[in-house]
Amino acid sequence: MNRRLLASLIFIVVAAVAGVGATVGMGNTPSLGLDLQGGASVTLQPEGDYDAVALDVAVEIIRSRVDSIGVAEPEIIRQGDTVVVNLPGVKDQQRALDIVGRTGDLQLRPVLQSGQIDPNAGAAEGDTTTTVPTDTSVPAEGGPGESRGARPMTDTTVPTETTVPTETTVPTETTVPTETTVVAEEEVAPVATTTATPPAGSEVLLGKDGLAYLVGPVAATGLVFENTASATIQGSGWSVVVQLRRGAEGEDVWNALTSRCFSRDASCPTAQVAIVLDGEVISAPVVQEAVFTGGEVQITGDFTEQEARDLAKVLEFGAVPVKFVVSQVQTVSPTLGGDSLRAAIISGLVGLALVFLLMLAYYRFVAIVVFFGLAVSIGLQFSIITYLSKSNGLALSLAGIAGIIVSIGIAVDSYIVFFERLKDELSSGRTLRNSAPRSFEGAWRTVLAADTVSFLAAAVLWWLTVGSVRGFAFFLGLATLADVTIVWFFTRPAMLLLARSKFMATRSMLGIKQPKPAEVAS
Amino acid sequence: MSVMSGFGRLYRGETTVDYYSKRRPALMASGTFMLVSVIVLVFGGLNLGIDFRGGVAWEAPATSTLDSDAVREVLEANGVDTTNAKLQTLQGADGERIRVQVGDQTDAVRSAVQVALAEQAGLETEEVSVAAVSSSWGRSITVKAIRALLVFFVLVSLFIAWRFEWKMAASAIIAMAHDVLVSVGVYAIFRFEVTPATVVAFLTILGYSLYDTVVVFDKVNENIVRFNTSRMSMANIVNVSSNQVLARSLNTTLSSALPVISLLVVGSFIMGATSLEEFAIALLVGMLTGTYSSIFVATPLLAIFKNREPKYAAVAGQVAKGAEMAALFEHSTTRAAQKAAAVEVGASREASVLKNTSSNVLTHPPRPRKRKRR
Repeated sequence: MNRRLLASLIFIVVAAVAGVGATVGMGNTPSLGLDLQGGASVTLQPEGDYDAVALDVAVEIIRSRVDSIGVAEPEIIRQGDTVVVNLPGVKDQQRALDIVGRTGDLQLRPVLQSGQIDPNAGAAEGDTTTTVPTDTSVPAEGGPGESRGARPMTDTTVPTETTVPTETTVPTETTVPTETTVVAEEEVAPVATTTATPPAGSEVLLGKDGLAYLVGPVAATGLVFENTASATIQGSGWSVVVQLRRGAEGEDVWNALTSRCFSRDASCPTAQVAIVLDGEVISAPVVQEAVFTGGEVQITGDFTEQEARDLAKVLEFGAVPVKFVVSQVQTVSPTLGGDSLRAAIISGLVGLALVFLLMLAYYRFVAIVVFFGLAVSIGLQFSIITYLSKSNGLALSLAGIAGIIVSIGIAVDSYIVFFERLKDELSSGRTLRNSAPRSFEGAWRTVLAADTVSFLAAAVLWWLTVGSVRGFAFFLGLATLADVTIVWFFTRPAMLLLARSKFMATRSMLGIKQPKPAEVAS
Repeated sequence: MSVMSGFGRLYRGETTVDYYSKRRPALMASGTFMLVSVIVLVFGGLNLGIDFRGGVAWEAPATSTLDSDAVREVLEANGVDTTNAKLQTLQGADGERIRVQVGDQTDAVRSAVQVALAEQAGLETEEVSVAAVSSSWGRSITVKAIRALLVFFVLVSLFIAWRFEWKMAASAIIAMAHDVLVSVGVYAIFRFEVTPATVVAFLTILGYSLYDTVVVFDKVNENIVRFNTSRMSMANIVNVSSNQVLARSLNTTLSSALPVISLLVVGSFIMGATSLEEFAIALLVGMLTGTYSSIFVATPLLAIFKNREPKYAAVAGQVAKGAEMAALFEHSTTRAAQKAAAVEVGASREASVLKNTSSNVLTHPPRPRKRKRR
C-alpha cells in the first residue's frame, strides 16, 4: 500500500517535472492570443447555403491565401460554422480584411480591351481611367458542386502572355493553328470600343501580367468548373485542364460566354475571357471554340510549371464556395496586448500567493501539500497548454487566463474539502493515521461530484459557443480535469504518506489539539 | 462570545447557527433582490458593449496632442456622428488611454479614423487598436450562449437528480438562477458594460454556484443517510450540514475570491488592464452570491421541499438549537451528548436507535489511542 502510494506520488511529480522540463528544454512557450500579443482578428460567418464540405474548402482557401501573404503564425480556426482568422502581428487592419474578408470570388468576364499601363500618360485610349481599383468587391455566389464526371476532350484556349506594348493583345504562344486568325481579326476589332462608353458593369482590372484589362460584366463564376483542375504537360509547355460542370449552371453558362466571344460579339470583341480572382485578372485566354461539348476546358500558353499549377489552383478553389460576412474585426496594438498579459500574470501570481498564505494560516503545516499540489498542477497544465498550442494551434487568450485564475479557487477547494473532513475526524478523537484515509474517501466523492458539474459546464460551453467564451471554457475544463488528477495522484498519496510518517505523529495536525484521553474514553 | 472564540468554533466546525429558522427572511431578501433585478432589467436594460450592439471602438494612448476633444474632432472630420459616441479615459500602466465607441461604420471610415488618430497622437498606426463588430454577430453569440445555458440546465439537473435526487436538482437550479439574476442585476443597476468577457463570467458563476451547492448537498445527503433510521427533522439535517460545511464554504470562497480580487485590484486598477476588470467584477459578485445562495437559498429550499415528504412532515417543527445542535454533529460522539441530544430532540425511542444505526456504526467512537506507540 505504501509502495503504491509512493509510486503514484512519484509518477505524478515525475510527469509534471518531465513535462515542464521538455517544454522548457525545447524552448516552447504557449502561443498567445491576439488580445495578449497584438495583431488583427477577423471573424467570418457563413451566409446563405453551405454545407460542412464547403466550409472545409473555404477554410482551406482562406488558409492558403493567408499563407501566401506570409503572415507569421496565422491561426485559422473553425468554431462550429464560424471561421476565426487570427493574424498576429498584422498591423494594418485593412490589410487583414483584404486578405480574408474578400469572398474570393472567381469570375469569368469578357475582355473588352487590354493594354499596358503607363503611369505617366493615359496610355492607350480606353485605358485612361486606369488608376485601377484593385479592391473592387463583387458579391460571391455560394454553393459547392456535387455533380461529377466529364468526358475527356481537348478544347484549347490560348492565354495572352502579351509582351507587346500596344493596346491590342497579341497571343504570343501558339499551340493551336487557329490562333493566327485570332490575331488577324484582333487588329481590326479593338479601336471601335475605345471611344464608345463601355457597357454597364464593366471595369478596369489589373492583370497578373502587368496589363490592364477593361472587362465586361460578370458572365460566369467559378461555379461553372468542377473542383478538379490540374496542370499537365502539353507538348512543349504546361497547360491547365479543368472540368466543366454539367447542366444549366455549368456548361450552358460557359458555352454562352464562349460562343459570344468566339463570334467576337460586341460584348466580347477581343475573344478573350478574363479569369478574375478577387479583382485581379489571373489569365485571359483567347477562346478557340464556340461550344465546348467535351466537358473539359484546356488552357495552354507560355506557362511555367508554377504558373500552371497556380492557375489550376485558382480554377479549382478560386471561388470560396461559401459566402462569408465579416462579423467582427479586431486589432489590438502590441503595447495593449503586452500590458494585459503582464497584468494577468502578475495578478495571477499575487492571487496565488494570497491563497497560499491563507492556507498556511489556516491549515498550518499541511499547506505544504497544497503548495506542491498546486505547483505540480500548474506544471502539468503548462506543459499541456504549450503542447496543444504547438500541435493544435491553441492560443492562450485573456479569457483563458481568467479561466485558469478562476480554476485556482476550484483546485484549492478540493484541499479544503479534504482538510475540513480530516479536521472533523481528528477532533472526534481519531488518530491522524486513521483519519486520513477515511476523510479522503468522503472528500473524493464530493470532489468528483462537484468537479463533474464544473466540467459539464465547461464542456457545454465549449461545444456550443464561440470566441472568447469557448477559449475560457477550454481552460476551465482542462483545469477541472487537472484537479481531479491531482487529487487522486498527488494529494491522496501525499496526505496518506504524511499521515503515516513518524514526522507527523509528533505534530498537532491542522492545529487541532489531540483530544485528552479522558474525553474520548468518557 | 468574543470574535476569537467565534473563530475558534468556526475553525473546529462547531458553530451552531440556526439557518433553517432564518429561511423566511433570507428567502425574502433574495426574492426582493431578484425582483429588483428583474425590474431594473426590464425598465433600464443592460449597458451592452459594442459586441452586442454592433459598432466600432478605437483605443489609443493619450498623448499631449491627443485628448478627448482631439478625438472628437478627428471623428467629426471623418464624418462620424459624435453625439452618441462614448468616450472613456482609461488609466493604464503606461499612462492614459482613450477609448471611443460609436455605432456601425464602413470599413473605409474605420481605417481612416485609425490612421487619423495615430497621426494626431504622433504614433504608429498599429498603436491604435480597433474593434468592429456587426450587430448580428452579437445577437448570434447571445443566442449561442443562451442555448448553451439551456443544455447545461438540463444536463446538470439530470446529473444532480441521478447523483442525489430531483429535489436537490430543483433547489440547486433555483439557487443558480438566483445567482445569475442577482449578478446580472448588479450589472444593470450599476450600468457596468456587458462584454463577451462578462458573459463568460456569468456563465462561470453558473458553474461556480452549482459547484458550491453540490458540495453542501453532498454533506446534506451524507447526513440524510446518517440519520436515515432516526426520526430527524429536515430542519436539523440542513442546519447540521450547513454548519459542518461553513468553514469549508468560507475558506473556499476566500480562496476563490482572492485571485479574482487580485485580478481586479492588481490587474485592473494598478496595471490598467481594463479587459480584466469587466471580468473580475462579475466573477466577484457571482462568487459571493454563490456561497450565500448555497447556504441561504438552496438548502432552505431543499428543506421546504423535503418537508412535504411524510417522513419529514411529521417532525417538521423540530429545530434543535445551540448545544442540542452541536450534539448532532458527527464528531460529538460521546454517548452522553448523543443521548442528551436525542432526548431533547424529542423522540425517546431515538436514543437506542441512534446508537445502532448503520451509519452510527460507521462513526463509532474510536478506540482510545495508544500513547507512545513504538
